[in-house]
Amino acid sequence: MTRRNIESHRIVGIVCLIGLASAPFLLGILTLRQLTAALFLGMFAMSWDYVSGYTGQLSFGHSMFFGIGGYTAAVLNLNVGLSPVVTILAGTVAAGIAGLLVGVPALRLRGPYLALITLIAPLVLVQIVNIYPDMLGGEGGLQGMDLLVAVDEPIGVLSAVGFESAFEHRVVVYYYVALLLFLAIYALFYVFTRSYVGSVFTAIREDEDAVAAVGVDAAKFKLFAFTMSGVVGGLAAATLVHTPLAGAAPERLLVLPVSIEVVLIGFLGGMGTITGPAATGIVFYFVRDTLQASDAVIPLVGLPVGEVWEVLFYSIALLVLFALPRGVLPWLSDLSRTVRDRNDPSAEPISETH
Amino acid sequence: MSTHSTRSARDTAQSADILRLENVTKRFGSVTAIDDLSFTIRDGDIVGFIGPNGAGKSTTFDCVSGALAPTSGSVYYRGEDVTGRPQHALVRRGIARTYQTFRPLNDRTILENVALSQVPNSLFSLTDFRADTEERAREICERVGLEEYLSQTPDELPHAGLLRLEVGRALGTDPDLLLIDEPFAGLTSDEIDQTVKLFCSLREDGMTLVVIDHNMHGLLDLVDRVVVISFGEKIAQGTPEEIHNDPTVQEAYLGGEL
Ligand SMILES: Nc1ncnc2c1ncn2[C@@H]1O[C@H](COP(=O)(O)OP(=O)(O)OP(=O)(O)O)[C@@H](O)[C@H]1O
Ligand SMILES: [Mg+2]
Repeated sequence: MTRRNIESHRIVGIVCLIGLASAPFLLGILTLRQLTAALFLGMFAMSWDYVSGYTGQLSFGHSMFFGIGGYTAAVLNLNVGLSPVVTILAGTVAAGIAGLLVGVPALRLRGPYLALITLIAPLVLVQIVNIYPDMLGGEGGLQGMDLLVAVDEPIGVLSAVGFESAFEHRVVVYYYVALLLFLAIYALFYVFTRSYVGSVFTAIREDEDAVAAVGVDAAKFKLFAFTMSGVVGGLAAATLVHTPLAGAAPERLLVLPVSIEVVLIGFLGGMGTITGPAATGIVFYFVRDTLQASDAVIPLVGLPVGEVWEVLFYSIALLVLFALPRGVLPWLSDLSRTVRDRNDPSAEPISETH
Repeated sequence: MSTHSTRSARDTAQSADILRLENVTKRFGSVTAIDDLSFTIRDGDIVGFIGPNGAGKSTTFDCVSGALAPTSGSVYYRGEDVTGRPQHALVRRGIARTYQTFRPLNDRTILENVALSQVPNSLFSLTDFRADTEERAREICERVGLEEYLSQTPDELPHAGLLRLEVGRALGTDPDLLLIDEPFAGLTSDEIDQTVKLFCSLREDGMTLVVIDHNMHGLLDLVDRVVVISFGEKIAQGTPEEIHNDPTVQEAYLGGEL
């Protein structure tokens, strides 16, 4: 990558960061609430990309980590009365253990074995939730967990900057909770994937024999990627169940479409980029929510969008995949390079001396 | 060639075995790829490992390098039984190999391909991956003759370049024993000469080399000793001259060119 390229990436990054940090002052309160939920989807997508996008070991069942993280936190809070900070920690650890339990046997073998195992594991978990409805809430899920940060009274600073009700304050507080976690996860993954660890991950994706030939234990690195991915997914989900956004319900954390969604976001955003899936997760959430809530009617066929949104939504996703098989982010960065080279043919030599 | 003087000098200096195979057998289902194979490689030698198509040469490399575990038999490296140890562990002990079908990483440059050989095998390491490892990777590329391709990707490389990349990546692991699978196939005679020179210079640095080929053409100037296998079994072992006059070997090649 040229230095100029890095420079322009940095500028885009800083603009996004400023935008996210000032979102509460730019967006309506309900949109801000949506964005909070969207950030969690971005975190889920990043966690998938860290293992599947980088090492090429496809996980089709990442919801197992979200489910284990979220349910562990919820149950420990409701039944044992542990505080959210402790239960989030416990949910995170539990997801990591699940990563080891599944990863140790599944990652020793090469090929699509992991994909198969991860496809089945969440199915088992969904059934377990249904077998113990008293403790795990069954299909309806668990509600009423303690909030990570109690916002019962309006907060002085927020009132001073124009947020009125306690509801608004709560939305703003949880937005920042989500944003901090999102940025922390992004930074963590960024540091690892840009280090030699990332170059081993992508080498595994390219050719495991080549990795073995340089004296690196590919299985160890795959297990690390998978477990760390699980830890982060579990952390995000455990935090999510202690926000006002969502309880611990199979539909949000466990069922197959949840897993498919993160795979889809990973592919759409650009596998092995972290940034692509993170950003695409956010956009994905908004497009889906907008379609879902739309009361527009499709002309000619006369069907309301809100009823057939899934057909529309997944068709759009398919079209994007056909058009941009490598994903949106790689396409964008190619595009910006092309545009720059056209505007400034001398870009290449200059970039070296900048 | 001045290899003869160095050869005799080395003979008096040491004659320890670096590698020993004892009754190694490898079966794939009903196919016996190597059959009760035993031989030794002396430290510091360049050994030719020859045999016709499908004789089991690559499979033998697989068993020695740890890519495959032998069905039975033992592999000793510097006197230690290393049978069935994983490949990455053996690389750390000093056994490196190249692949007959090259294994470049097509997602990165030549320099980055070679730099992969410098990564630690631990998950958390504070060694600065950028600065000195890149320098080392550059040196290796120069050594194997890839200096003009550093920022190109493998798919832009000619065949001979890909071979150099294989060798370069193996050299990056600082091997004592280097197993090279059919390096001369598809090379022009100029390229073969350069490659032979490179291998000789590696031996001067104290490396032991085992070089696979179908026949002895390219190997005559290069090797100290030759091991010949056919249908998975060793049929001869000795100096190139001895092998040349061996009736069993001539029979195995059915009067074809040895
Ligand atoms: N993974 C495998 N599964 C099944 N059979 C195999 C496998 N690898 C090798 N064989 C068989 O083992 C025998 C030896 O193959 P090997 O590749 O070791 O021969 P080779 O001497 O390297 O031949 P070549 O000169 O063509 O490279 C062949 O009959 C081959 O078909
Ligand atoms: Mg072979």
